[in-house]
Amino acid sequence: MKGALRWLAAFALLAGLPFLMGGYYNDVYRKMLLWVALALSYNFLFGICGQVAFSHFAFYGVGAYSIVIFLFQFHIPFPLAVLLGVALCVLVALAVAIPSTRLEGFYLALATLALAQLFVVVLNEGGAVTGGPGGLANYRLPDVLGMRIAGPWYTAVIVFVLLFTLFVLLKLDRSWFGRACRAVRDNPEAAAAMGVNVARTKVIAFTLTSALAGIAGMVYAFVDNTVNPPIFGLDNAFLILFMVIVGGSGRHAGAAVGAALLFLLPFFLSPLVGHHHVLLFGVLVLAAILAAPKGLIGFYDASRRP
Amino acid sequence: MQDILELAVSATASGCVYGLIALAYLLMIRPTGIINFAVGEWAMVAAFGGHLLLSKYEWNYAIGMAVVVAFMLLVGWISERIAVRPLVEKGATLLAPILALLGMLVITREIISVSFPPDPLPVPGPFGIGRLEFGSIGGTYQSFFIIAIAGAAFVAAWLFFEKTLWGKSFEAVALNRRAAALMGINLSRVTALSFAGGAGVAGLGGLLVSPNVSAHYLMGVPLAIQGFTALVIGGVGRVEGALLGGLLLAFAEQFTARYAPIPSGYAQGVPLLLLMVFLLVRPTGLLKARA
Repeated sequence: MKGALRWLAAFALLAGLPFLMGGYYNDVYRKMLLWVALALSYNFLFGICGQVAFSHFAFYGVGAYSIVIFLFQFHIPFPLAVLLGVALCVLVALAVAIPSTRLEGFYLALATLALAQLFVVVLNEGGAVTGGPGGLANYRLPDVLGMRIAGPWYTAVIVFVLLFTLFVLLKLDRSWFGRACRAVRDNPEAAAAMGVNVARTKVIAFTLTSALAGIAGMVYAFVDNTVNPPIFGLDNAFLILFMVIVGGSGRHAGAAVGAALLFLLPFFLSPLVGHHHVLLFGVLVLAAILAAPKGLIGFYDASRRP
Repeated sequence: MQDILELAVSATASGCVYGLIALAYLLMIRPTGIINFAVGEWAMVAAFGGHLLLSKYEWNYAIGMAVVVAFMLLVGWISERIAVRPLVEKGATLLAPILALLGMLVITREIISVSFPPDPLPVPGPFGIGRLEFGSIGGTYQSFFIIAIAGAAFVAAWLFFEKTLWGKSFEAVALNRRAAALMGINLSRVTALSFAGGAGVAGLGGLLVSPNVSAHYLMGVPLAIQGFTALVIGGVGRVEGALLGGLLLAFAEQFTARYAPIPSGYAQGVPLLLLMVFLLVRPTGLLKARA
């Protein structure tokens, strides 16, 4: 009961804020929430399960493109389109993860990098289905029960998806599966000796977090009401990883802080460095790994320790 | 038939470049276990070095090439100093230097993208543009030049590992770090050398391929993927495997792009497909590492 109230309060607070904002800040705010959702699910894969993958943003794109294509190219009903989009993410994730996690080492990282690269190619070459280099536009969210959801009301949908993501991840983290993931990260041999199926744990963690990224992508599709290849390019492949490292990997709060910080930083920096903030991100990450491997949240933890 | 032979020459040349990138991965993975995603970025840096010295300042090709490769050795050594050694000395897990090198990758790419205009920049080959024909086998000057130089690099790498004491010490570290250290092999020197060598080889690959693709700040990632796929196909343990894997991948790619009835852009999916197939069917690669 107390738990449910807490979630409700969080929802009311996060969803209430955009009603006090103008259109521009609402736009920045909802994109930040989506990045936080992505960083949270990526943190489960990277920070808690110890797997490096570069496809998280590509799955975000798979979700966004699939909902638009299923709804407006194939005219599939809305609930079915959502299910099909999730199913597509799961299938692609399984196809990549099952071969790549059979061996010790960083095969998943390279395989997912190749997947992310191929995804952009498919978007560009997809002809009428994906809209080619121009992408798809001129669509809008179907009315739900005759009502049009837009503006701050749509931000409430994003808040709901964010809290849903966090809820799923927290439940998982505190279950046997979360402990299995941590064991796989810290010592695969010991985990296997304790009866954890290492390869299967990695595959499930990757597939699940990729599906969560796909769901976030579906919500994104109606934020700008356009999807095109440059949005889902390789530039962002490393960014989510950087957010989690800078914020503090393995900690939900760390991922959220890192995502918010690295998303908002360019807005403050652009008068100083123009579009070259990525250089600064690289330096930040290097500094974090060398000097503060627990990330920003590590400083907070250290200050609370007596 | 003419078409196939023509394609075979250019595929061999690309395969040699992939093989060089795979060799760069191999040089660093064997002694340290560290997979360095920045090899593609190193190739890119060398391509820009080639543009600067050979195209802008019009140096003699051989001198320019030697300077670029020497510079890359320095880049590799510095990268190891900044992103690997402090973490190894702290006793961090293997993941830490890999992520630190990823940070270096982004820093390298951004420095290049800030310093040069965003358009692809030309890099000349040593013999200009022209064709060479031996009977029915023909190809561009650059193709034959790539094959010759990469072949020489592979022979040198093979001789290094098989015939020299230094190469033996690399292998010893690869087989058992602790035992190698106890035998008096200086681990940190081997690590530093492997990174310098890896950057040199990757840079050579980037310089060789750049007349065909031009120097561009985004050219690194595709090369990193192709090189890694070549490494997995050939087997992570052997110098010959890197070359074999590179050749196989390049032939698969070019023949798919030429003959398969799909948009040619999809040929970029060939590395991923081959990577998946090999990881499923033959995860040790074609050539096994010597025990």
